[in-house]
Amino acid sequence: MSSSRLLLRPWPFPVLLALRYLRSTRKDAFVNFLSKVAALGIGVGVAALILVLAALAGLHDRLLGQILAGTPHLEVLLPPRADSVKARESCSTVPGVREAQRIVAGQGWVLNDGVPQALKLIGFEGRLPSSFPDASHRQEGFYLPVDLAARWGLSPGDRAEVVSPRPGLTPLGPQPRVRFLKITGTFQSYASETVQRAALPLATAERLLGRSGRRIYVTGGRLEDAEGLKADLQSVLPEGSQVRTWKDLNRSLYFVLGMERTLLVVAVGLILLVAALALVVDLGLIIASKRREIGMLGTMGATPGTLRRTFLYLGSLLAFFGLALGLTVGVVGAWALDRYEVLTVPGQVMFVDHIPFLIRPVDLALVLVLTVVLVLAAAGYSGHRAASLQPVEALRQ
Amino acid sequence: MSLKILARNLFKTYRDGGRQVPVLGGIDLEVAAGEMVAVVGPSGSGKSTLLHLLGGLDRPDPEPLGEVILGDQSLSQLGDGALAAFRNRTLGFVFQFHQLLPDFTALENVMLPGRIAGHEPAEVHGAARKLLQEVGLEDRLEHFPNELSGGERQRVALCRALALEPPILLADEPTGNLDPSSGEKVLELLEALRRRRGTTVVLVTHNPDVARRCAKLYTLDRGVLHASPP
Repeated sequence: MSSSRLLLRPWPFPVLLALRYLRSTRKDAFVNFLSKVAALGIGVGVAALILVLAALAGLHDRLLGQILAGTPHLEVLLPPRADSVKARESCSTVPGVREAQRIVAGQGWVLNDGVPQALKLIGFEGRLPSSFPDASHRQEGFYLPVDLAARWGLSPGDRAEVVSPRPGLTPLGPQPRVRFLKITGTFQSYASETVQRAALPLATAERLLGRSGRRIYVTGGRLEDAEGLKADLQSVLPEGSQVRTWKDLNRSLYFVLGMERTLLVVAVGLILLVAALALVVDLGLIIASKRREIGMLGTMGATPGTLRRTFLYLGSLLAFFGLALGLTVGVVGAWALDRYEVLTVPGQVMFVDHIPFLIRPVDLALVLVLTVVLVLAAAGYSGHRAASLQPVEALRQ
Repeated sequence: MSLKILARNLFKTYRDGGRQVPVLGGIDLEVAAGEMVAVVGPSGSGKSTLLHLLGGLDRPDPEPLGEVILGDQSLSQLGDGALAAFRNRTLGFVFQFHQLLPDFTALENVMLPGRIAGHEPAEVHGAARKLLQEVGLEDRLEHFPNELSGGERQRVALCRALALEPPILLADEPTGNLDPSSGEKVLELLEALRRRRGTTVVLVTHNPDVARRCAKLYTLDRGVLHASPP
């Protein structure tokens, strides 16, 4: 193609000038090297951000999946003298509520040969909810985590001693309440659970724990509907009732995960910041080497706006190669690392046996926006410097 | 189309560290539309500075206030953007050193003012090609400046200055860097193009032979302009 064809294109003049300057950067070895460093830096920054965010999203997804499986959509804490049966019925009348279940929860112990194991005791009315894997929707009874039962050599039909911290008055003074319960079954516990749970029949739990820990677990259609149901439930429940959604119940976890994500984005984003500074230096060198030409363009009538846009486009073109490279490496890399389970971790200790990678559109959008903002700031600053050159000053050099 | 040039009370002082260096000390100049005048003077007398002020590349001192009026337009009333657009439409510049853009071919260099003005690419291309053919460079269209001789570069620079048929041409030592034969060729071209288009020309030189070709001659000495007999 003849060289003069470029100026025959019906594109704006700053675009034509930026394209020609992009070609001319290859002629100067140092400018060429610096352009590659800036583009590569942007590529590395983009790829690193995508991989880190995908790994975090993958881990958070698994962790939250496990935690939310053991968390009700909504939990209602009833005031001391409220009628829990009536309150449950009120909850059931709210549109969108699929199930309302009375429970009593509190801390306790299970003893085996005098060895105590702290557990969260949860008394359910009716069948077990879906938050108890392998045991969900089974009949009311006493259920222990499968690993605890295996450790102690207990199986369904055996009896275990359940102790409550709530004292009962006996002729010998206050004594802990103790019940011998027959194990109905076991359920799979999650590695992410910090406190193990045991399921009991509601009546037994009330005798052990009293009525102060009475709650109602409410299940709606979808997790996202919980916020909407919260207000509706509040309006039908007795005064003093507290309604908390799954988000409220895991607020501190969400805060920590969000903070972790923010800190990592800032830390890895520093690579992009350094690359943007390299772009400023690179464009500064190009402007310095083209001072006379910029002055001459001024004499021909190129406005400061034309010059500003030229270097804005040139910087964006240089960064585009880095962005394309980073996006490709990041997305393909995250997919391959997840598909082939390359990064393994000890499954017995962690809640996963490999690092899962999950690319979310919102994360890609975040990386794109961050990169575009930094590149536009770097190229815009350089464009401003080129535009502020007075033609006569540039020609005098 | 021709435009007259009117400069009134132009002062220009530069700062050199803390020192004030007066360059122009109250210049008044009037060039009729279509006229070709020469400004001569020794090196450092302020010839290029005067040309820069006439072309709106630099601004005169604000105190005492002077002004440059091209046609009916006072340059002091224009902001940077409007002044650049006005330069594009109204003025052509030729410098001692060709100042061609090295990344663009001869043809592209001549196309630049038209593309800056936003004219149709094909129209700009045709006009630039015709202009370069007129000055005998039809075989050099696709050559980059470093592939051209000094005389050829200056002819390309002249074509670029005249590409949009500006009513005013400002030339700063256009033959100062050329051998006599190439210089003569460039001057002949300049005169021929001026005659045909009626362009108003201010030519700055320290070469008396070049100056004698002009209708009027001015001498700039220590920042003051004197009319000289032709």
